[in-house]
Amino acid sequence: MQQSAVDAVLRGLKKAGVTVACYLPDSLFKPLYPALDADPDIRTIRVTNEGEGAAICGGVFLSGKRAVLVMENSGLRASVEPLARMGLGAGIPVVMLMSYRGELGENNWWAIPHGITMEPVLDALRIPYRVVREEDEIERGITDAYDWSYASYYHSAVALGGSVVR
Amino acid sequence: MKRYDCMKALAARLDNELVILSLGASVDEWYNAAPHMRTASLFQQQLGCVTPEAFGLAVGLPHRRIVSLDTDGGMMFNLGILATVGNEQPKNLFIVVWDNEMYQSIGGPPTHTASGRVDIAAIARGAGIDEAHTARTIEEFDAHCAAGLAIDAPYLVVAKVAGTVQPDIKRKHSDGREDKYIFVRHVEASEGITIMGPSEHN
Repeated sequence: MQQSAVDAVLRGLKKAGVTVACYLPDSLFKPLYPALDADPDIRTIRVTNEGEGAAICGGVFLSGKRAVLVMENSGLRASVEPLARMGLGAGIPVVMLMSYRGELGENNWWAIPHGITMEPVLDALRIPYRVVREEDEIERGITDAYDWSYASYYHSAVALGGSVVR
Repeated sequence: MKRYDCMKALAARLDNELVILSLGASVDEWYNAAPHMRTASLFQQQLGCVTPEAFGLAVGLPHRRIVSLDTDGGMMFNLGILATVGNEQPKNLFIVVWDNEMYQSIGGPPTHTASGRVDIAAIARGAGIDEAHTARTIEEFDAHCAAGLAIDAPYLVVAKVAGTVQPDIKRKHSDGREDKYIFVRHVEASEGITIMGPSEHN
């Protein structure tokens, strides 16, 4: 992930009003995490699993602040239970930013399940998402996700793939 | 020690706090034990989500005391949150774990704490929450509430309670979605903020 893409993510998050980022680090977003930690406008919270991060983001929503859950797309599978309960049961939204592991171009065998399951899992939860593979579409992708989630009070996701993360 | 009696003791100490609570029979008990806190309490049906949501709320409202009413089953579902709270050290989060050693809402099969070997307070201390205690009497529980609601550090108390449910209490009628709106409007009014505002166009 290039520094310019990291900068675009930070611009998008700030434009969307995000002040809290929960994350479990991964390799494709490797430079993003220290950039989030170093940003004075964003409080980062490291979590033990992505489902815990989703629930923390839900609590941040209830406070009136805006949070983002940052993770590899495998974290989506770990988040399904809290996402289903909060989103479908109560209307508490979580906006997710995930790296697209396992799409075409992937050369790690262990990442193949992440590519095969990500979009079907999002569809099963009826979570709208956008796959962004161009750097100049990152910022708009993030702000669009927040606009939608704060109109629907439901989850949305942005997956960064292609040359943005490789 | 009965959970309902503990709730009455805790409720008497609450005024401006916000509460997130767990699923099961404790929902109706809290609804009756703390009628003045109904709009300030988010009744959630989420095993493993209660304390993480309460922590997120505490992060967003650092000037306000947040109370998590979690359970043995709920806490065992997601022990990782204890490590996150231990690392983050929120100054305004008071966690109560109602430990009746059973999954009460489905008829009472045992949780892991029923063995007598699993100690949630000890796990919490090991995760970095220095103030993590176990209460076995109302007096002990009430003293921990007083301390936990005043301290500038995360505070956890495991309340060892009986598996009984307070009889003949009023049932809460609202579902999770209505509960969310009631709670959010309470936070908006009491904080003077907008969380769920108007659309661009009507």
